[in-house]
Amino acid sequence: MLNKRAIAIFLGVSTAALVGVHAADDALSIDQDCPFFGASHDKFVRASMRGFKSGRLVKVAGAPAVTPREVAASALTESVVSSLAPPPPGSRTGTIVDPATANTIDRYLFPAMAQANVTPAPPTTDYEFVRRVTLDLTGRIPTPAQVTAFIADTSSTKRADYIESLLASPLWLDKWTIYFGDFFQNNSQNTQITRFQSGVSAFNTYINSSLSSGKPYDQMAREIISAQGTDSYTQGELNWLVGGYVTGGPVQDIWDQQTANIADTFLGIAHLNCLLCHDGRGHLDSLNLWGAQTTRMEAWWMSSFLSHVTLPRTTVSTNVYYWGVVDNPNAANYPLNTLTGNRPARQPVGTIKNVAPQYLFGGQVPTKGQPYRQAFAQFVTSDFQFARAAVNFMWAQFFGMGIVDPPDTFDPARLDPANPPTVPWPTDPTQPWPLQPSNPQLLTALAQDFINSKYDVKALMREITNSQAYQLSSRYNGTWNAEWAPLFARKMVRRLWSEEVHDSITQSSGAIPTYNMGAVYGTESWAMQFPEPLGTPDGSNGPVNNFLNAFLRGNRDDQPRSGDGSILQALYLMNDNFTASRTSVAKAPKTGLLSTVVALPNDQAINTLFFTVLSRYPTGTEMSQAMASLTATGTARNPQLENLLWSLYNKVDFVFNY
Amino acid sequence: MKTIKFDRMDKDFTPSRRPFFNRPHWTRRQFFKIAGTSLTGSFLVQRYARASEVMPSGVTTQDTATNVIFILLAGAPSHVDTFDLKVLNGVTPASFTPDTINGILFPSGLMPGLAQQLQNKNFTIVRSMRSHALVHSLAQTWTQIGRNPAAALGNIAPNIGSVVAIEKESQRQPGQVFPTFLALNSPSGIGQGYFSAEYAPFRVVPATTGLPDTALPGDPTGALFDTRWSLLHQIDDPLRVNSPYGQPLDDYNDFYLSAQQLMYNPTVNKTFSFSATDHTRYGATTFGDACLLSKQVLAANQGTRFIQITVGGWDMHQNIYSANQLPTLGKQLDAGVSQLISDLQSAGLYDQTLVLMVGEFGRTVGPLTPALGRDHYPQQFAFFAGGGVVGGQTIGVTNSDGSDVTDFGWSQQRYVYPEDIEATIYSALGIDWTTVRQDDPLHRGFAYVPTTDPVTYYPINELWGS
Repeated sequence: MLNKRAIAIFLGVSTAALVGVHAADDALSIDQDCPFFGASHDKFVRASMRGFKSGRLVKVAGAPAVTPREVAASALTESVVSSLAPPPPGSRTGTIVDPATANTIDRYLFPAMAQANVTPAPPTTDYEFVRRVTLDLTGRIPTPAQVTAFIADTSSTKRADYIESLLASPLWLDKWTIYFGDFFQNNSQNTQITRFQSGVSAFNTYINSSLSSGKPYDQMAREIISAQGTDSYTQGELNWLVGGYVTGGPVQDIWDQQTANIADTFLGIAHLNCLLCHDGRGHLDSLNLWGAQTTRMEAWWMSSFLSHVTLPRTTVSTNVYYWGVVDNPNAANYPLNTLTGNRPARQPVGTIKNVAPQYLFGGQVPTKGQPYRQAFAQFVTSDFQFARAAVNFMWAQFFGMGIVDPPDTFDPARLDPANPPTVPWPTDPTQPWPLQPSNPQLLTALAQDFINSKYDVKALMREITNSQAYQLSSRYNGTWNAEWAPLFARKMVRRLWSEEVHDSITQSSGAIPTYNMGAVYGTESWAMQFPEPLGTPDGSNGPVNNFLNAFLRGNRDDQPRSGDGSILQALYLMNDNFTASRTSVAKAPKTGLLSTVVALPNDQAINTLFFTVLSRYPTGTEMSQAMASLTATGTARNPQLENLLWSLYNKVDFVFNY
Repeated sequence: MKTIKFDRMDKDFTPSRRPFFNRPHWTRRQFFKIAGTSLTGSFLVQRYARASEVMPSGVTTQDTATNVIFILLAGAPSHVDTFDLKVLNGVTPASFTPDTINGILFPSGLMPGLAQQLQNKNFTIVRSMRSHALVHSLAQTWTQIGRNPAAALGNIAPNIGSVVAIEKESQRQPGQVFPTFLALNSPSGIGQGYFSAEYAPFRVVPATTGLPDTALPGDPTGALFDTRWSLLHQIDDPLRVNSPYGQPLDDYNDFYLSAQQLMYNPTVNKTFSFSATDHTRYGATTFGDACLLSKQVLAANQGTRFIQITVGGWDMHQNIYSANQLPTLGKQLDAGVSQLISDLQSAGLYDQTLVLMVGEFGRTVGPLTPALGRDHYPQQFAFFAGGGVVGGQTIGVTNSDGSDVTDFGWSQQRYVYPEDIEATIYSALGIDWTTVRQDDPLHRGFAYVPTTDPVTYYPINELWGS
C-alpha cells in the first residue's frame, strides 16, 4: 500500500536521487506509530472487534455489532428500495428451491439465516433480476430486447440460461477487464512510478486476453508474480510488479512493497505489510491473531523471494522509458543492511545477515536453481488461502461485502471452523478469539469449488449469480436489522459504477459517441472499454473525463472507486452536455430512443421510455403523472418527451443497482 | 419516525435558509436511525463525528485569517532565480534587474508587480524551507496533504483544504451556497482522502462563461429546468415518500437539492464569470483567471474558505532563461499574484486572507546545467501574504549560492518542511493543528499534522512577527 498515493500533476520525470529523505518511522513502538497501518479500505480495527462463532455474531463488549459498511449498505438499501415501484401484483418471481438440492451457496446461507431466525427477503421479480444481473455481469442496463425476451421466457431454467448468455457476452469481458485493471492498479502514473500509456495498454491487453481465453486465475497470478522481461510496453504482465517501485529508500523497500502487494492482492492478507516493519507482537495483538504471532524475520522470508528482482528502465526518448523486471539470480539473499528509507532499519539478527526465502504459510523453499519468484508464485497459488481470498474478493463484488470483510484483512489463524482459536481474545479475554468469516463453511466450500473448477472466474460468477441468495430482492418485508447484513438475507443496493452510468445512458439513448483517445489508446465509444481512468477519454480537463470522475471511478492509486453520492453527480446528470445531448429530439440519431418515441402515442411513448431506461414499465401512478405531463400534440410534444426522458435519467432507481 | 415530504422540505429549508453543502442535520440523523447506529459509512459523513472523536489538544493558534489561497507552483520553481535571488555574473539574465528592496534582493525586472508589493511590505518570504523528496508527484502530494504519502494514513489522507472544509463547516452562514474548498486549475490535485465526498475540492477551471453545468443547456432562464424539476418530483415522490418500503431517500435528495441551489443562481453566475478587462488586468492567463476568481469568490462571501490554485510549468531542466520559460512564467505569476494582493486590499479582504505560494521543491543552484537548465534540489522557498502575516520580512538566510541554510530564522532552528507550512495554515485559520480525529476508517487516529516523525512540526509564528 506504500505506493498507493495520488498522482498530482506530473510535470516531469525525475531521475534525481532523493535528498534528505525523511525517515518517518524511526521511533516505532506501538500501533499508533506504525507508518504502514493505513490502507484505502475500512480495515483492521473494527473488523477485529467482532467475529463469528457457530454462525452467531460474537463481539467485544461495548463494540458496535455492525461495521460502518454494513450500516451504510443497510441504510442506503432501505432508502433506495423505498423509491422503487412496488412489484405489480402477479409478478413472476424466482423460487426458493429446497436447500438440500440448492447450490453450494444456498446450502450454507439459508440454514444460517434459519438458525439466526432471520427471514430472507422475498425472491426478486423477473424485472428486478434481469436488470440486476445484467448490470452486475456486463456493466450495462439490459436492452429492451433482453428484458422482453427474458420476461417472455417460460423455461424453468430461464435465469440460468440468461446468466449464460451474459457470461458469453463481449460486454462481460469489458467489465471484468476494468475490474481487474482496478484490482491490479493498472494506471499510467501512481505516486511513485510512471507506466506510460504504452505500459497500461500492454497490461490491459494482457488482462483482457487472459479473461477472453478463459485462462485459469491461478495461472494469471503465477504469470504476473513471476513475470520476467525487459519491455513493459510489449509484455503487459511486467507492469504489475513495476507498481511496487518505491523511491526514497533502499531496494529492500521495493521488495517489501512487492511482497506486501502479493500478500494483499493474492492472499487477502494486508497485515503482512505491517510485519515488514516490525514484529506483530505489541502491534497486532488485538487485531490479527496470526499477525500477532508473526515476526518481522518471518515476513522477510517472504520478501526474500523478491530479492533477485531488479527493475531496469530503458529510455525511449527524453523522460520516456519502459520498465523491465529482471532477476539477478546471483544476487545475495535479502540483505539486512539498511539504516534509512521508508521502513525501519534492517540489521543482522544474531548471525543472520541475509534472509533466505521460505514460504511463511507452509515452510516450502525453492528447489536448487529454481528461480525464486517462480517458486513463490507456485507456493502462493497452491495455498488454499489463495482460492479463499479470490472467491471472497469476488463475492464482495456481487454482495457488497465479503464473507471476510474488508476482503483483504484475512486472519489466517481464525478461518477454520474445525479448528477454532482457543487463545483468549485480548480485547475481551473472557472468550477465545472468534472465527473471522461470517460463514466459514461457505467460504471453504466456495474456495474448494473454485479450485475444482480449475480457478475458472466465470464458473465462480455462474455459481454466485445462480444462487437463490444472490437472487433475493433488495426489498424486505418487515423491519430490517443492519446486524443481519453478514447473513446476506437481502440484496444490498449499489450505485452504478461511473462507467455503468455512462454506458447505460449511451445505450438507452442510442446516441453512441466516438472518442479518439490518441495513438496509443485509439478510438472507443464505451467507457467500459477505456484502458484506464486517468484522463480518458478526452484529457484531464475534458468534459467526459470530468463527467466520469464525478461518479468517482477512482484513479487506481490512492483514490479507490467509490459508490458515494455528490452534488457534482447531480449537476452532471441534470445539466451536462453528455446527458443534455442525449435528451434532445433534435440531436437524437435516427434509430435513437427519442426518434422512436416521437412517433408513438402517449401511453406507448411513456412505456417505451420507462422500459428502455429503467428496464420496467411505469406503475399506475407514474403512468398517470407522465400522461399528465404530455399535454401537447405533434412536434409541440417533443420538448415534453425530452423532459420525461430527462426525469428518468435523474430518477433514483436509474443510478442504483437494486 | 417523522416523514418529511418534498414540498415540506422545500418550505422548511428554502435556499435562503439552507446553505449549499450544509444540508440539514436532521435528514442525516434520520438516515442513521434506520440502522439504529451512528457510525459513518459510504453515503454518511464525518460531520457527525462525535465530539470525542475529534480531539484538539488546546494549543494557541494565530487565528488571524478566515480564508486561505494556496498556490501550488507545480514543477518546482528555481528559488535562486526568484524569491531567493542569487545573482551570478554571466548567468543571471540582466533583464531580471536585481534590486534591493527593503533590504531584500529581488528580481524586479522579472516580477515588477511583486517588487512593488515588496516595496509596500505586502509579503514575506521563508527561505529556510526544504522538501523531503525530489520526485514531482510524490513531493506535490506531500505538499498538499502535509505528510509523507508513504507514511501512516498517507494513502488516505485528505488535502489540507478538505481538513479546512470539515473544520470550518460549522461556521457557514445561512444562505451561503459555495463549497468550502474550491480548487482552481487543479484537475488532478489531491482530493478528500478518507473524508466524505462532500469535503472534496470543488474543481473549477475558470471560464468567462462561469461555472459549468449550472444551467440546462439551451435554457438560460431556467423555465424549462423548473418544469423538469417538478416533473421529476411528480414522478418520483409518490414512491420516495410514504413508500411501502421505508424512508425517503434523504441523502440522495440532498445532493439534488444542493445542486439545484447552485443553478440559475445570479450570485454563482456573477462570481464565476469575468470580463475581458479583468482577464487582462490579471495578466490574461488561466492562472490570472484563477487569481481573479479567487478574489471574486471570497468577495462574494458565500462560504468558500480554502482555495487551491495549481500553476504548473516550473520544471525547467532545459533553457531556463529562454523567453518562453522563466521570463514567461515569472510574468504570469507576477501579474496574477500582485493584482490579487491589490484587489484583496481594495476589497478589504487582504487582512483576513492568507495567500501562500509554495513549490514541491527547489532547483539546483550556481551555474546552469549543460542543458542550460536547473535540476531538482531540496532547498526551496515559501511565500506568504495577508491573513495577518507581517509583510516585508525574510525568514531564514541561505548561503551565498542558495544551496543551504546558514540561519534558519525561526523558533525550531531547523529547516521548514511542508508539514510546518500545513501547521502554519491551520494556526492562521484558528484550527488547532494538534487535533487528532478518531473517525478515520482504521480507527488509528488521523493527526492533522503528523506526530510520529523525528521532529515536531510547528507553525512559523515568526510570520506574525513573534
